[in-house]
Amino acid sequence: MVPLIGSGKFVTMAVVAEDGQPLEESSVENQGWFVKTAITDKRLLQWMLVLSQIGLDVVRTDRYLSFYENESNQARLWDILSIYTWLNPDIGYVQGMNDICSPMIILLEDEADAFWCFERAMRRLRENFRTTATSMGVQTQLGMLSQVIKTVDPRLHQHLEDLDGGEYLFAIRMLMVLFRREFSFLDALYLWELMWAMEYNPNLFGSYEKPENRNNFSEQDPRLLKKYGKFERKYVKSGHNEQHNTLAVFVVASVLETKNKRLLKEAKGLDDVVQILGDIAGNLDARKACKEALKIHEKFLKKANRQ
Amino acid sequence: MSDDDERGEEYLFKIVIIGDSAVGKSNLLTRYARNEFNPNSKATIGVEFQTQSMVIDGKEVKAQIWDTAGQERFRAVTSAYYRGAVGALVVYDITRSSTFENVGRWLDELNTHSDTTVAKMLIGNKCDLESIRAVSVEEGKSLAESEGLFFMETSALDSTNVKTAFEMVIREIYSNMSRKQLNSDSYKEELSSNRVSLVKNDNEGTKTFSCCSR
Repeated sequence: MVPLIGSGKFVTMAVVAEDGQPLEESSVENQGWFVKTAITDKRLLQWMLVLSQIGLDVVRTDRYLSFYENESNQARLWDILSIYTWLNPDIGYVQGMNDICSPMIILLEDEADAFWCFERAMRRLRENFRTTATSMGVQTQLGMLSQVIKTVDPRLHQHLEDLDGGEYLFAIRMLMVLFRREFSFLDALYLWELMWAMEYNPNLFGSYEKPENRNNFSEQDPRLLKKYGKFERKYVKSGHNEQHNTLAVFVVASVLETKNKRLLKEAKGLDDVVQILGDIAGNLDARKACKEALKIHEKFLKKANRQ
Repeated sequence: MSDDDERGEEYLFKIVIIGDSAVGKSNLLTRYARNEFNPNSKATIGVEFQTQSMVIDGKEVKAQIWDTAGQERFRAVTSAYYRGAVGALVVYDITRSSTFENVGRWLDELNTHSDTTVAKMLIGNKCDLESIRAVSVEEGKSLAESEGLFFMETSALDSTNVKTAFEMVIREIYSNMSRKQLNSDSYKEELSSNRVSLVKNDNEGTKTFSCCSR
């Protein structure tokens, strides 16, 4: 379909117009490759249209790392994102997926392994990237965040609401790229590992194949319970077995809580909120943040049960 | 600090930067606000902002400039930030004609979501890349004329026109404001009509009109 995939090259300029007509004039920038005949298939066209967007993001993903000075490594990132987009037309490609995918390429030399690693990670994250003209999937998690803060720190929630920030849009980036922009590269990986271990569920792999398998845990077998990650176990114990919040939501909550005083005192507008939260970049401790997140989680479950 | 604001007047203008992905919105902003250019800058997720002040008529005028994600998929959330904006920079990349062809869409988007008079400027960025130019100066100019926009070509990389462009927009907003204040009846009218059009959670209607003297 696109011979560039796997060739160590990729495109950054549009290859087709929106009506499917080939755009040969960009073949120079696109390493000599161009589409020869008009694209009529809707799914194929949709995909072709996004290839250059992926390319534009690939060339600016983690460029401060020497790994990406090598163009063939950039091409691997482009390959994986392009293939993922082809296989998941309902989600497509959304900026931020590149931030999620980048570490997998660095860590796993084999491109196929990196792809499947990314694909599995996206099972947890893909709903955040589902967008319509009027909403983004991540807003569901923002809504959960709103519930959590409202429950554990009603004063802060009220304050944010007064500032017209009750939708928590300012937290969008933390959730979409899982703190890749707030933490250093290594800290973010450390955080991911911690989070995913805490969220471990013995039914997880089965649920990848059949989503309804996820919560078939009804009898409280203590041996099985031990296998759950710390975070997931609390949910099982408390009987909250329905579709529930991810740990990431509580990590954001813990970040907000560390800034609680400044937010209440200094934030007079949403701009101040963004500013105060912007100051955390590079100053976060992944381990501490997770620890706090678990505390907030416990508090939330207790209060939610009481209501 | 300027010693000119003895009357305690301070203006705060909200400005948005919009346009297709990778046209250089974030670097235009960091060039203006911090005189920096980051060759390793990443795609903006959601929105970010910076503030920068200038002095007009001896008064300190602060611009709060919101930088938005360029990918269309983010519009549901970025458009929320258009509310209250009194200035806009619509940016395209002079080396990619598709980004120029999309300017109309961005203008529609802006008109749909903004709630007040917006001073708009069309910006053709990356003018340092003359050798691979795909949109001529004339094309940019004539689009700006037909849409009633200011126009300027800039380079965030070598700083060409960046400061000038932002300051031109800020001055225009300032003079829009002064004109309104001269005729305070119509100013009030616009204020109250803005209140009506606002969707929700707008208890006072004061915050949304960001060019307040506080």
